[in-house]
Amino acid sequence: MDKEQQIREKLNVIFRNIFDDETLQIYDTMSAADVENWDSLTHINLIVAIEKGFKISMTTKEVQALSNVGELVRLVVRKLP
Amino acid sequence: MLKPSRLDYFELAKEAKRLDPASCTRTIRLAILGDCATQHLATIVRVLFHRIGVNVILHEAEYDTIEIEAFDPSSALHEFKAEFIVLLNSSEKAKVRFYDHGEDKSDFAAQTVAKLASIWDALAAQGAKYIIQSTYVLPHERMFGNYDNKVPTSLQGVVQHINGGLIAQARNRKDVLINDVDYLASYVGRKHWFDEKLWALAKSPCALELLPVLAQNIVDVVVASLGFGVKCIVLDLDNTLWGGVIGDDGLDGIRLGHLGDGEAFHELQLFLREMKRRGIVLAVCSKNDPETARRPFRDHPDMVLREEDIAVFVANWDNKVDNIRTIQSTLNIDFSSMVFLDDNPFERSIVRRFLPDVMVPELPEDPAGYVKALSELNLFETTTHSEVDQQRTGLYRDQARREVDRLSFSNLEDYLRSLEMKAVRSRFDAFNLPRIAQLIQRSNQFNLTTRRYSEAECQAFMEDRDTAFPFWVALKDKFGDSGLILVAICRLAADAVQIDSFLMSCRVLQRGVEQLAMNEIVAVARARGARRVTGTYVPTAKNAMVRDFYKTFGFRKLSERADGMTEWEVLVDEYVPAFVHIELVEPVA
Repeated sequence: MDKEQQIREKLNVIFRNIFDDETLQIYDTMSAADVENWDSLTHINLIVAIEKGFKISMTTKEVQALSNVGELVRLVVRKLP
Repeated sequence: MLKPSRLDYFELAKEAKRLDPASCTRTIRLAILGDCATQHLATIVRVLFHRIGVNVILHEAEYDTIEIEAFDPSSALHEFKAEFIVLLNSSEKAKVRFYDHGEDKSDFAAQTVAKLASIWDALAAQGAKYIIQSTYVLPHERMFGNYDNKVPTSLQGVVQHINGGLIAQARNRKDVLINDVDYLASYVGRKHWFDEKLWALAKSPCALELLPVLAQNIVDVVVASLGFGVKCIVLDLDNTLWGGVIGDDGLDGIRLGHLGDGEAFHELQLFLREMKRRGIVLAVCSKNDPETARRPFRDHPDMVLREEDIAVFVANWDNKVDNIRTIQSTLNIDFSSMVFLDDNPFERSIVRRFLPDVMVPELPEDPAGYVKALSELNLFETTTHSEVDQQRTGLYRDQARREVDRLSFSNLEDYLRSLEMKAVRSRFDAFNLPRIAQLIQRSNQFNLTTRRYSEAECQAFMEDRDTAFPFWVALKDKFGDSGLILVAICRLAADAVQIDSFLMSCRVLQRGVEQLAMNEIVAVARARGARRVTGTYVPTAKNAMVRDFYKTFGFRKLSERADGMTEWEVLVDEYVPAFVHIELVEPVA
């Protein structure tokens, strides 16, 4: 399995945990509008959980620029050593 | 209830989706107002309350609307009628105002304190029972380096001045309690506390993972104000109070003071002695021969605690569960107000298993960490403090001696006569308000309605001479002074005297004090020309002992609700005064 695929799977686990939905499946064009309960509060939980899960730190600007899951995956890939 | 030492934010956030208010035994109305975002925090606060059976009806103010909520009479907060109002003020906002304040910052701190005090006044006028004010966390910035502290108008100087001012004002007000966020931040490290990115993104008062620490602190303060609190610490001896085993190592072999790791035990004893001075009763529960166990208390030069510091001393070879039960019944307190300290994991687990209400903190293997472990759990939160606290150990020691004496009498009347009891009763007075409020907060078992009036509310009763008759009773006997042990609050209607609250310390059960007080209430009713005295019993998890209280005084039951609440009445003319063996004496001026 390539590295990006591993990241996607790990991200999916985090999403399921945060949204408390064991069936949730992430995809690149998925955004807040597509997920019930993805409000600004949950968004913060998600960001902090991802930073913790991958042991990375995103900048304020990077977080604010995110618009869908695909961008999130690419950001995590870039951040990882 | 013992708090787990680590609270995971994400677990709590998940738990928030599965709360079941119906499972709670108590409901409170709580408002959270902040100049930072409070939604994440509020979620965790609800979960932590739910874990201890308290359902929170929450009012969350919009972001940064403290002043509007407080001062605008049409605000949602006015409508909400909160019992508890949590005020959360962030250093980030204070910093912005500080920087904008212009060249002369000399009045900044005083202005900030005055503003908050005026907000407290407005909130109190809305009927809030308690206002829980945060302290400001010292920011990172130092314009002068270490010299900041010497410049009163520096950012560091100003924030410290504000915190000092808030605390000084709060000391003069019973309705303002402090949520010492600066303490929390310092404990975990301010570097970890502040999360600059989360502030930028969401105005979060601290790092997300530290929100549970902040939430728990708020819960601790509220819970203490509801009357839950630790009254007694039960202590193991060997390897808890000193290093080594007194039975094996002997008086000069145990480690205390400067011998080996004795310093750590010395430090724990100093901490415990201070707890005793603040009103926590100390008891000993040790597997030892009684004489051997007492020897260090009598003869070891480095012992801080002495025999007179211990209210109940139990040393034998029985199991600790039974011995803790003995201590509990001697002191007549709830298991849930007891903390058990023991270095031995086996003893800890057996006590946890059989006495689940007793708090049994994990202690680290190294005694050097004992005091830190206890401090971290914040077990000793309280919302009142009075002079009598400091005498409590003596009161309980007297009680233990009475128990022994009682057994030598074959009948109760003879025993009561032999006690030479004297009582003082008085309308509420300013001097005794702290003690009155404290008894109201702490009495659970002998408490007819469990209405937890604050000190400010007690003062209002005191001043209301037209429609309220609130009084207290103090008792002493040949063994000692029990102090103020009964509080009753009566409402005066045209035709009836209504007993709103009637509660008594369980230290003076079966002594005739409640009879004396009831005689007094009926006498007041008669003097006012009222025809009836009425009373209510509101059942709680702990007050079953007074379910038939009114019946024993000849009251008639008027009604009974499905939840067990009952209403009672007696006609003044048919009341037969109870005979008591207590002499009434005048208060000493």
